Amino acid sequence: MISSLYVHIPFCQNICSYCDFCKMYYQKKEILPYLRALEEELNQVYQNETIKTIYIGGGTPSCLSVEELEVLFKILEKVKKSPQVEYTIECNFDSVTKEKLELFKRVGVNRLSFGLETTHSRFEDYLGRKIDSNKAKEILSDAKKIGFQNINVDLMYAFKGETLEEVEEDIDFILSLDVSHISTYSLIIEKNTILGIQKEKEISSDLDHQMYQLICKKLKEHGYIHYEISNFAFQGAFSSHNLTYWHNQYYYGIGLGAASYLPEKRILNTRSLSKYKKGQRIIEVENLTTKDQMIYELILNLRLLEGLDLDDFYRKFHTRLEENFPYQKLVNRGMLVIEENHLKIKEDLLYVSNYILEELIYGEE
Amino acid sequence: MQQNIRNFSIIAHIDHGKSTLADRILEKTGAVSSHDLKNQMLDSMDLERERGITIKLNTASFYYSFEGEKYLLNLIDTPGHVDFSYEVSRSLAACEGAVLVVDAAQGIEAQTLANLYLALENNLTIIPVINKIDLPNANISKVKQELMDLIGFQEEEIILTSAKTGEGIEDLLEAIVKKIKAPEGKAEAPLQALIFDSIFDSYRGVIISVRVFNGSLKVGDTIEMMATGKKFEVTELFKTTPKEIKVETLSAGEVGFVCAAIKDIASVEVGDTITLEKKKAQQALSGYKKMKSMVYCGLYPIESVKFESLREALGKLKLNDAALVFEPETSEALGFGFRCGFLGLLHMDIVKERITREFGIEIITTAPSVIYQIILTNDEKILIDAPNKFPNKEKIKQILEPFIRTSILSPTEYIGDIMGLCQDRRGIYENIEYINRSRVNIHYQLPLSEIVYDFFDKLKSSTKGYASFDYDFIGYVPSDLVKMDILLNGEQIDALSTIVHKDFAYQRGKSVVNSLKEAIPRQLFEVPIQAALGTHIIARSTVKALRKDVLAKCYGGDITRKKKLLEKQKEGKKKMKQIGKVELPQEAFMSVLNVENKD
Repeated sequence: MISSLYVHIPFCQNICSYCDFCKMYYQKKEILPYLRALEEELNQVYQNETIKTIYIGGGTPSCLSVEELEVLFKILEKVKKSPQVEYTIECNFDSVTKEKLELFKRVGVNRLSFGLETTHSRFEDYLGRKIDSNKAKEILSDAKKIGFQNINVDLMYAFKGETLEEVEEDIDFILSLDVSHISTYSLIIEKNTILGIQKEKEISSDLDHQMYQLICKKLKEHGYIHYEISNFAFQGAFSSHNLTYWHNQYYYGIGLGAASYLPEKRILNTRSLSKYKKGQRIIEVENLTTKDQMIYELILNLRLLEGLDLDDFYRKFHTRLEENFPYQKLVNRGMLVIEENHLKIKEDLLYVSNYILEELIYGEE
Repeated sequence: MQQNIRNFSIIAHIDHGKSTLADRILEKTGAVSSHDLKNQMLDSMDLERERGITIKLNTASFYYSFEGEKYLLNLIDTPGHVDFSYEVSRSLAACEGAVLVVDAAQGIEAQTLANLYLALENNLTIIPVINKIDLPNANISKVKQELMDLIGFQEEEIILTSAKTGEGIEDLLEAIVKKIKAPEGKAEAPLQALIFDSIFDSYRGVIISVRVFNGSLKVGDTIEMMATGKKFEVTELFKTTPKEIKVETLSAGEVGFVCAAIKDIASVEVGDTITLEKKKAQQALSGYKKMKSMVYCGLYPIESVKFESLREALGKLKLNDAALVFEPETSEALGFGFRCGFLGLLHMDIVKERITREFGIEIITTAPSVIYQIILTNDEKILIDAPNKFPNKEKIKQILEPFIRTSILSPTEYIGDIMGLCQDRRGIYENIEYINRSRVNIHYQLPLSEIVYDFFDKLKSSTKGYASFDYDFIGYVPSDLVKMDILLNGEQIDALSTIVHKDFAYQRGKSVVNSLKEAIPRQLFEVPIQAALGTHIIARSTVKALRKDVLAKCYGGDITRKKKLLEKQKEGKKKMKQIGKVELPQEAFMSVLNVENKD
């Protein structure tokens, strides 16, 4: 029933100015105790199911030393993996080495996800991270040589002062890398980030939207399939792990600040390392009513270009979507479309999907 | 006993220390100990909360001994919300004297004068007090001179106090006893008790504040309201010291509270006279200067099912706010609501705030309008309190609008700014009075419609807060006015129409469409905004379509957060009114009165 596992490694050698994820500076002495606590959590929650997707995210998992990584993979050995498992680890170009890549390959990792973000070094200070596109090229070439075919690269855009031309140059660079998967994120300034504290503002939504359109257009021209609001991939290289989220399917999330979705509840782990190590892991449990589960079904599936499968919905909830969320009105108003028994947000309105979701979910209240 | 009663009010410009002075008097006379002062207030607040009373009863009775005699002093505070002079005037009607408080640093302000004139109209004995003499920037001699020059007090009758340190409070109490007359009136005469305030209590019904002028009132008496003719049996009488003290009777000269199990709030009118059924008074007391509503606006519940709750809320508010008037009206855009009349903008804001806070009803208020007199071509005269009720242009012979005369007290350096502001608002210059070398009283004639919205804010900001403002209604004056309509998405929205002067229409149209553009949040589709005189479009603008609101990243697996975000977004929308395809926030309805000269 539960066939996905997320593993959080919160350590980073460097803290990026925009990052809102659970993270902390890498400290040698913290790593092994953390990994022990992680192992304890896995032992407690994991019920020996066959796992189809594993995703090691962060933080920066690749900043762990080879020895520390070996301990991590040793822990994950007990996870029963399906023969077709998708096994991903997040890396940054700064900390990953050939040796680490070889280790990943050896333990069965078959998908890499790199944060490139931008190629323009003028944003180094603003983003608070190193930007070196030559290094990126080198590492990717190594990774391919070692045999990784399934690679994602993250691109960020909508930085203060960024131009459409700069975004286009970034896209061209990523295209030249010839990777199978590209995730793009417009910069969101969150409260508890360095940028948020400095009261930086997001760029105008008009320019942001233009950048998004440019990205969609160029990536599609080069054979990528736009399959989720901000995700693009070659045929057959969609992220199975992320599709678990978007299809509203269960997953374990272990580690500091990790989130899990288990039958009838969503659980969020603490971001406090000391509490986590003491086993006081859970900070928030959202018990889900059937209605809540339906709402998540919509929120998540409608991020996908293919939309929500109405038959799947019926199979899951034994009631038709229309009876719970009368969507026909929004279809008539040109916000939603029905195609091949899938309900989807009109493609050119995907970028304003919150507005539409709110109408769809709460419009009747 | 009656000879030893003193009924008085404290009048002051806002922030001149009225409340602290009142607290200090209570403490000094032992009505409350300084230690209890806080406790007392907290206790009564709990009580209030328990009983659903949200406004304090505004009278305090206490004893003061002077030269071997014991005096009963009744301090009748003006109710918390003061919209210019009205609230003060009804409290003054219950008094024989008033303590006029002036801040030692600020000097005389516009409301000081306005309240003083009201007190004089009520034939009250005035005791001038300069308060806050402990302030480092107090300028006692200058303020004394103002009181002498402007009002004609003698230097020796001016009392100096510091409510903070307690200095001068004894002198003030002495002056109250010595100078303010004992109430006249006969205890054996037929009952005449003035209702000067009332509130609704869910346990006891309406609680009435009264000042007994003649006769006496006992628990068990059957009383009659002279204006409404309604009869009730008195269940309870009490005074506040400020603790509630039950009493058996209230006699001529006394102030207190009456409960009579009155559930129907409409039977009690502030300003009415209570008499006894068995021994009726010949006539009602003259009450107090009744104020007419000057400003009208529409109040609409955002959720249309709340219409009846809104009616009930307005009824309860009217209990201690006789100046509030309301009647049902319908708007094509907003549905069912009420046309409400207020004394001014502050009054309107308070009512709106209380409806939201005390009754939990989210409402939209339309832009305030004054009352226009319209002479039709058949010479019939009609009164119009809302722009959308304006008759067709062809039927109008003449339009008259209300004008007011200002008193703007300000330091001389801001004369230029103030005159500029008045000029922009179609003001007609009258004169400038010099109070002293550094302060002036500026008089302009202004259309009331030009001050109802943001005049006061603008005045404050262009004088760094130094100017104070008051006005008198002077009459109706013919004006060249036209109705300006607003169209959203090509549809005319009745609730957004305004009346503007013809010469200012283009400029106003432009600033209104621009401020609407700012006030209306982006929606899924573009919203064209137009201002029109009849069928003639005079200004246009566009609210651009929403371009982005999605979260690119789903926070790893933390999707709960996304749902919370949507819920928050929904809450925000609940405060908006859906009109056709467009969602309008409250600001949009007010922005039609925005008169920024933006180009």
